[in-house]
Amino acid sequence: MTAGIQGREVRVIGGVPWTRNTRQDLKWVLLFLSPWIIGFIVLTAGPMLWTLYLSFTNYNPIRPVTNFVGIENYARMLKDPHVLNSLYNTIFYTVLHVPLSMGIALLLALMLNRIGGRSAGFFRTAFYIPNVTPAVAVGTLFLLLLNGNSGVINGVLGFFGIDGPSWLNDPTWVKPGIIIMSLWTVGNTVVIYFAALKNVPLEMYEAARIDGASAWDQFRNITVPMISGALFFTFVINTIASLQLFTEVYTMFFGAQQGQSSGAGDAAEFYVIYLFHEAFEVFRMGYASALAWLLFAVILVITVVQIRVSRRFVYYEGE
Amino acid sequence: MATGETQLDRTLPGSGARVAVGQKIDPGKLAFRVGFLLLLAFFTILFLYPLVWLLSASLKPGSEVFSGGLIGSSLMWSNYPKLISDQPVLQWTWNSVLVTVLASSTVTISSALVAFAFAYFRFPFRGLVFGLVLAGMMLPGAVTMIPNYLIWDYLGWTNTLVPLWAGNLFASPFYIFMLRQFFLGLPRELFDAARVDGANYLRMWWSVALPLTRAALIVVFVFELKVAWTDLVKPLIFLRDLPTFTLPAGLKAIVDNPSIGGEKHFELLAVGGVIVTLPMVIVFFLAQRYFIEGIATTGSTGR
Amino acid sequence: MRRAVPILVSMVLLLAACGPNAATPNPTTAGGGSQPASGPPASLEPLKAEGKLFAYGFAYKTGDIIAQTRADVFKDAYPDVDVTWSESGFEDQKFLTALASSDKPDVVNMPRNKIGTYVAQGVLDPISDCVGKTGFDTNVFYEAARNDVTVDGQMYAFPEFYNTRNWIINNKAFEDAGIDPDSLDFSDWDAIAAANEKLVKKNGDKITRIGIDPKIPEFLPLWVKANGGAVMSDDGLTSQLDSQETIDAVKYTTDLVKAQGDPTKWLDFRNTWDFFGGKNQVASNQIGAWPMEQWYLNVLAQNSPDVDITVKPFLTKDGQPITLEDGNSWAIVSGTDNPDAACALVTTMVATDTWVAAAKARQEDAEKNNKPQTGVYSGNQEADQIIFDKYVDLSDMPVFEAAVKAVLDNQANAFGWPPSPGAAGFQTAMTDGVNRVLSGGATPEDSMSRANQEAQDAIDSNAP
Repeated sequence: MTAGIQGREVRVIGGVPWTRNTRQDLKWVLLFLSPWIIGFIVLTAGPMLWTLYLSFTNYNPIRPVTNFVGIENYARMLKDPHVLNSLYNTIFYTVLHVPLSMGIALLLALMLNRIGGRSAGFFRTAFYIPNVTPAVAVGTLFLLLLNGNSGVINGVLGFFGIDGPSWLNDPTWVKPGIIIMSLWTVGNTVVIYFAALKNVPLEMYEAARIDGASAWDQFRNITVPMISGALFFTFVINTIASLQLFTEVYTMFFGAQQGQSSGAGDAAEFYVIYLFHEAFEVFRMGYASALAWLLFAVILVITVVQIRVSRRFVYYEGE
Repeated sequence: MATGETQLDRTLPGSGARVAVGQKIDPGKLAFRVGFLLLLAFFTILFLYPLVWLLSASLKPGSEVFSGGLIGSSLMWSNYPKLISDQPVLQWTWNSVLVTVLASSTVTISSALVAFAFAYFRFPFRGLVFGLVLAGMMLPGAVTMIPNYLIWDYLGWTNTLVPLWAGNLFASPFYIFMLRQFFLGLPRELFDAARVDGANYLRMWWSVALPLTRAALIVVFVFELKVAWTDLVKPLIFLRDLPTFTLPAGLKAIVDNPSIGGEKHFELLAVGGVIVTLPMVIVFFLAQRYFIEGIATTGSTGR
Repeated sequence: MRRAVPILVSMVLLLAACGPNAATPNPTTAGGGSQPASGPPASLEPLKAEGKLFAYGFAYKTGDIIAQTRADVFKDAYPDVDVTWSESGFEDQKFLTALASSDKPDVVNMPRNKIGTYVAQGVLDPISDCVGKTGFDTNVFYEAARNDVTVDGQMYAFPEFYNTRNWIINNKAFEDAGIDPDSLDFSDWDAIAAANEKLVKKNGDKITRIGIDPKIPEFLPLWVKANGGAVMSDDGLTSQLDSQETIDAVKYTTDLVKAQGDPTKWLDFRNTWDFFGGKNQVASNQIGAWPMEQWYLNVLAQNSPDVDITVKPFLTKDGQPITLEDGNSWAIVSGTDNPDAACALVTTMVATDTWVAAAKARQEDAEKNNKPQTGVYSGNQEADQIIFDKYVDLSDMPVFEAAVKAVLDNQANAFGWPPSPGAAGFQTAMTDGVNRVLSGGATPEDSMSRANQEAQDAIDSNAP
């Protein structure tokens, strides 16, 4: 860490002393980094800027002429009822899915933590298994399970004397149905929380009990803060994923099937589904690029806000 | 009940209340335990039943998918050969296997390469560059999707399997992060010894670093196995003709199209669902440890 | 003897296909379909065609016997053409991908109601060149099918199949409800509504039999036509989704559904039918009557040969029989580098002799498997005549024999979708418009006026 060798001052570049060794190793560093560097330029940064450029054009690969249209695409988004509708659906879903999935996952993780031992492993597997089901199979499966007439879910509700709604055709119930489907795959989050819970030192609870803290106090004051890193992580990641929900819903309600009577209509139109439709079904790629940048901006803002806010609440080991 | 008891006694105090070993159980606590186990059983059924139902539906006559119990009036194994002969399911399976294996191996190797640079070398702006890598994790796919399509199309590789895996040659942020953690855990002296032997860095990475992080590499590999196997978006964008489809794309085609067995042929939809799901379930049971370990570590990404 | 002939013929065909001489197209082969597969259709001038050809929208490997036989006829007639089939049905997205890519299709098999859209985009060539080269007589096609693919007086494709819609009546349900299928007047909408209420069966709140399924939004044009209107102007440039005739038809048909209970539950129930199986909605007595494409007769005949049905024409309020027709078509993609082979393919696929060969192969296959079949309905009238004369035999299934006859009798009364530059957007707008009324609680007036706006926007933004 010496900044000088043999008494000579060595320049520090990018936080590293610029020595012969550093210089010699640099070509190795570049070699090792090369996959990422190439990928970053060709498949990430380049395309991002390209998308930005396209968003100011009316590019359509079928049409021979592409014109620069200024901010027309962005202006059009403001008036496009599909944008408003799909944003509403997406946010509605996210606002319900994220807290629900976190709550249920935490409950399940706490239960696993309580049993411990081998049987915890068994139940953890049971909770996780739905996660290895491909999303397209999840969509197909719930297309059958959610059938309002004789699907399993309404069958179970019927057993309790509840007349289950029409999950696939009634616009009011389409999104709740999708949320139910999404909760089937909380297993991932359960595993993360369970791992975090196992890292909470037992002594903290002992000490709390000696001080006469109730179970609820212990949960609030020890458990939650101690796993706040995992909670925060899943909060951010699940939010980002929810805002991009696509495959399951696309499988159930969209694609090549056309002109059929389905009541879902607007209720199942999510933002990325509309974006995909514009980009790859009608090839209005200029407009779709503008939609993509709006999504990027929304996700960026939400993530930054989440990070800012959570900084005050998250406890990191060793701080 | 005896075993359940000892298990409960060894309980880690998740929500606080803890039963001391050997303590006598009062009826209130017993009721609590029974309720607890019932709740656990309830959730287990909730998560497993849909898969059982899918399997059962795939073995029923078409008219009974929605009715009756889990076993139909006859066990229709013939649903499977029917779908496989109606549709190029075997071709789809082969395509899926090819894509998945190529995607997983390439991303594992390339990410390990990049991760090693961040773990071992000190170089200018390392922190900044690493931050850039991590930022890539948050990036919505939509914002690069269109140009990626245009690039692969320009290269003449649309309607082939290449775009489904070749992007993985260029490493993936999340795996770089994960593998870097593992590399950081290796004692530096190991590498210094190898340096004395005169090995170059690439040799050192290959013959010292990789063997020691085998477990982590497997985690990355099985993770990507799942990602690549289940992906529908890339096939939707890049593949055009049925014979080039992967299994998820094929299943979506079946769902969409009554003339190729979908929509109203519910039993065949279920068959498709089972065919695309089963390989992942098998992989999961073979590599369960790695799956769980991998996901558990993702939680620590937040730190 | 009836069995021996087809087998003999198929052996000859097989030999012809395998033998070395099969490679030379033989233009002199004559004879209204007696030896159809041994040369290019006799009615055509032979084209010299060779080289590579990419046909989008057609599946050979997974295709049925009708598809495979016709493709084989082409391969036998033009052995020097190396055809690549896309092996998947037509999808807009995939077709556009193919057009945008470096590997452009030469020929496309697409639904006729989409032709207008792609003509507006400049993607398709008129077929007049091809007709000139081959002397193909386009008058063999049904008039309605021809109109579907004619834009500004130019024909842009050859019609392939010809699907028409008629009432299929489940006699058993009618008997249960005490209605005589023959005396119910399908031109009287009040009578249909009354029958609907008698036919529907419920167990508490749960529907167990649908009375009348109006098949909306799919068949809305049929109801509007019956009501004296049209959903779109004949030139395909003006949406009429907010016309009084349309709004009334939407109101009437959605009320038909609503009279049977909660429409969303009604849709759910319909989704559980074993539509293509032996316990289909007719066999299981889950439907009263509904307008349906004629190909469904084949599903019924093969899977539930004992059902008792009556087929009747769809009627206008004035009592005129009408039917909505659609189907695929074969078109040549602009800028193909092999126009002769493209022309050879599109003409061969729809030629009389090709259809006859396919129908014959299907009949032989059906006899071999001891399954009934209700015929191939092509867009080619000449072919249909031969097919239903010679290669459909339902004499031991009188119910289906009568049904097929009813379908054939109504063939000439068809109308189709006007070719429109905004066909896809129009369809979406129409579907959403009806669905909003059906399950969303919107009024027909509001919903259809919004749909009309969206449809007109789609047409205008795609017009050349």
